[in-house]
Amino acid sequence: MTDERTIESILVADCGTVFTKLLLLESVEGGAAGQSYRFVAQAETLTTLNPPWNDLSVGVVNALEELEQITGRRLYGAGRLITPQRGLEGVDAFAVILSAPEPLSLVIAGLVREMSLESARRAASGTYATIKTILSREGSLNSPQTTWSRTVRDIAPDVVLLVGGVDGGARRPVMELADAIALAASMLEQDQRPVVLYAGNAELRPQITKLMGDITHVEVVDNVHPTVDTEHLGPAQTALEQYYIEGRMNAAPGAETLLAWSRLPLLPTATAFARVVEYLCHREGNTDRGVLGIDVGAATTTVAASFADRSYVTIYDKGVAYGPLEWVQDHGTAPLLQWLPDEMEEEELLVQLHNRVLRPWTIPQDPRELWVEQAVVREMLRSALDMARPTWDPGKVNVLPGMLPGVDPILLSGGGLVHMPRPGQALLVTLDSLQPTGISTILLDVNRAAPALGAVAGLKPLAAASAMESGTLISLGTVISPVGKARPGEVVMKMRIMYEDGGTLNVEARYGDIEIWPLLPGQKATLELHPNRRFDVGLGFGRGGKVQAIGGLVGLVVDARGRPLVLPEDPERRRRVLHGWIWDVGG
Amino acid sequence: MFIPYSIVNPLTTVRIPRRLPRPGEVLVRLGEAVEASRIVAQTVEPADFCIVDVARELNVPVKKVKAYLKVGRGATVSEGDILASRGGLGGQVCRAPISGTIMGSGRGRLLLEAEPRTVHIAALVPGLVVEASPTEGVVIESTGAFMQMGWGNGKEAFGKLRVVVRSPRHPIRTKHIDAAAQGAILVGGLHFDEETLEQAIAMQVRGMIVGGIPPSMIPRLEAVEFPVVTTEGVSTAPMSQAFFDLLRSLDGREVSVSGRMRHRWGTERPYAMVPMPARGAAPVNPETPLVVGSRVRVLRGPYTGASGVVSDIPKGLIQLETGARLPGVQVDLGGKEFALVPFANLERLL
Repeated sequence: MTDERTIESILVADCGTVFTKLLLLESVEGGAAGQSYRFVAQAETLTTLNPPWNDLSVGVVNALEELEQITGRRLYGAGRLITPQRGLEGVDAFAVILSAPEPLSLVIAGLVREMSLESARRAASGTYATIKTILSREGSLNSPQTTWSRTVRDIAPDVVLLVGGVDGGARRPVMELADAIALAASMLEQDQRPVVLYAGNAELRPQITKLMGDITHVEVVDNVHPTVDTEHLGPAQTALEQYYIEGRMNAAPGAETLLAWSRLPLLPTATAFARVVEYLCHREGNTDRGVLGIDVGAATTTVAASFADRSYVTIYDKGVAYGPLEWVQDHGTAPLLQWLPDEMEEEELLVQLHNRVLRPWTIPQDPRELWVEQAVVREMLRSALDMARPTWDPGKVNVLPGMLPGVDPILLSGGGLVHMPRPGQALLVTLDSLQPTGISTILLDVNRAAPALGAVAGLKPLAAASAMESGTLISLGTVISPVGKARPGEVVMKMRIMYEDGGTLNVEARYGDIEIWPLLPGQKATLELHPNRRFDVGLGFGRGGKVQAIGGLVGLVVDARGRPLVLPEDPERRRRVLHGWIWDVGG
Repeated sequence: MFIPYSIVNPLTTVRIPRRLPRPGEVLVRLGEAVEASRIVAQTVEPADFCIVDVARELNVPVKKVKAYLKVGRGATVSEGDILASRGGLGGQVCRAPISGTIMGSGRGRLLLEAEPRTVHIAALVPGLVVEASPTEGVVIESTGAFMQMGWGNGKEAFGKLRVVVRSPRHPIRTKHIDAAAQGAILVGGLHFDEETLEQAIAMQVRGMIVGGIPPSMIPRLEAVEFPVVTTEGVSTAPMSQAFFDLLRSLDGREVSVSGRMRHRWGTERPYAMVPMPARGAAPVNPETPLVVGSRVRVLRGPYTGASGVVSDIPKGLIQLETGARLPGVQVDLGGKEFALVPFANLERLL
């Protein structure tokens, strides 16, 4: 096996729901100390987990052949990846990250919707899982055990997450749920029986194990809600992720082939992405601001956040292609239609959403399709953020009531954001949906390499760090988002921009507008901020100061539209405003 | 670069999986020739059941329930039969809420399971059984005209193909559905309306093949008994000319239609197949490269659903209306009309 110190080249396969991507990293200086790594090539093809191929490795081999054409380097021979590198052939190391396999099918059973059931939901959001249903009494005096049993039997989930009762608390209602689940499991064929993950009242562990242990596999972990006011998700989250890795990732057709080529275990893409966000947080070293990462994929939206010593990952089971139709069933089409700068009938919107599911690899070809796509990204991001935010403990980070905690940078990844034709569009969609506060740099993962870097970090941290510092993440710009309320057009902040070359610019930001000032990629400037007394730029209401800003593809942005962002109700006026904002960001 | 494809082929050999929804029994042998109507596999759907809380209904302690039971494990009961009774003053009875068999008892309760339902899977297409898994189903190899569809309502049938419109731009209307439509699978160009659907139900058509359907009709179509499939997915666009021409050439022949859908993690695509008494037709080759002259269909943008041939593969990038610049091709749509389409929005027609 190649020693870590001698790794000259690393290949990462990122197998997503729709696309499989290969990224090749190489040591550019060679030698030992002072070694640095760069992305040198990438290739992308369709993921082949489903028919007609039924084999993940087919897509990886297709991409390998494309990469061979691009690099002129032989990578595949004798039916396998050539490893370790021999001269100009093969690579030294290979890592695989996966989000392609079907999510875990999960049934949650518990007692109180606002307590244990909510905690169970949050625990489930840390892995690729679809909650098929939630079983609870819902205020009924009697337990609908027949209904519960029938539901579990008919769904035949992979896992039943049974919660309920604080430690030493409720017993009988939990046992009634357990009873119904046990009955359902006993009616299923042996290989269809769900694993029962018990994370409820600790005192009931022996009874639960005794009741269900002979019927199916029962795993007991710490209570997700051990006392009325505490939540403890870690052990349940770890167990669920392990079920996903073992039951879905390692069992995916073709995974065995990929494992045989790799020296690392397969890694969930979201976990790899979260590592990068955590790295950025450590690199920045700010205790008063966190780091936020967003990965919008075809089937999921991942939100990774890091605050000082705490990191969080939330996987929302809807992306730009798979999920919006179900989302519309719950929320209606109005939230999507409100983001369209041109008039559109509901039917046209729904046609596009339906066909996106049928052909998830396609891209918007005209502006109307593009507006729909961007509206979908906005709403999926908002929903993902709503799910993620309650799980965070931002520590010392400044959080205004109901707002996003101060985060800097914000990392954008995933095809849903990165494939937008103009950088200003990605920026606007991000501002509309995340509504950051204070000062944030927005980084775009243009090659969708961030999750791959997370995988590389597990193999050779130096390679991941140096590749990240070498231009993999492109800045869209620095965004200043003053928080407060004013009349449209009122000056909410005055700003002096002092460029490195000595030039200065005195500007004003007016309420309701997005203002963009020139600050090119790589260029730095010192900003002197003077918000009015009713506005906060992250330094306190009315408090200004000097801050450093770095430029980007869009520039220096002041989003003075207020928080929370409110769209005009009148459709005509709203469309005019939306067109204006798109124009402002160069979209 | 791999470009997705749809099969729309006048004579090819295909392998059609006929899988059971849950483990069951396969009724045909490997190598056996089957007709479309032949039942090739069957399984038992899980029965309905209910838990009868006898202790609660008789208002007696759990430990005493046994003394009052009138039925035991394995007993067959009809809805309303007495399961347990407690005599004496203010006596109470516990009756069966459904017909079925007593499958278990304990802790003062009975588990009553209804009669299970057997589900049969027909061959749907005539051909040879080339794969047979004893419990999961079979794969049938068949030769004929084959078309992969965009959307289907989950139903299956076979019947006589009747093309009732003149062009892919014409919808099926009520006037097209007369007595001759009974038992037929109708072909139309554009989507149809509710009134036409009701007429089709009333005249007992066996199925409908159209260009597209509007999203608002999906719930209604999923509830009808016969298959409805579309060539263009969920759409109000006309049927692609390539599909319409092939279907028209097959007018009057027997056609098998499957509306079973490829869901996110699913395995199937809707299709229509017209079996032919031919042998040795080559299966399509998914590796067929995209070259000038390849038949293709446009999947998005202003030309959605249009089919044509690749007339040029430019070396550089093509500019889309959205501002994006991507690799793509020029497609000759016929009638001196050309479209620039990115590879991502292109489909090969094989």
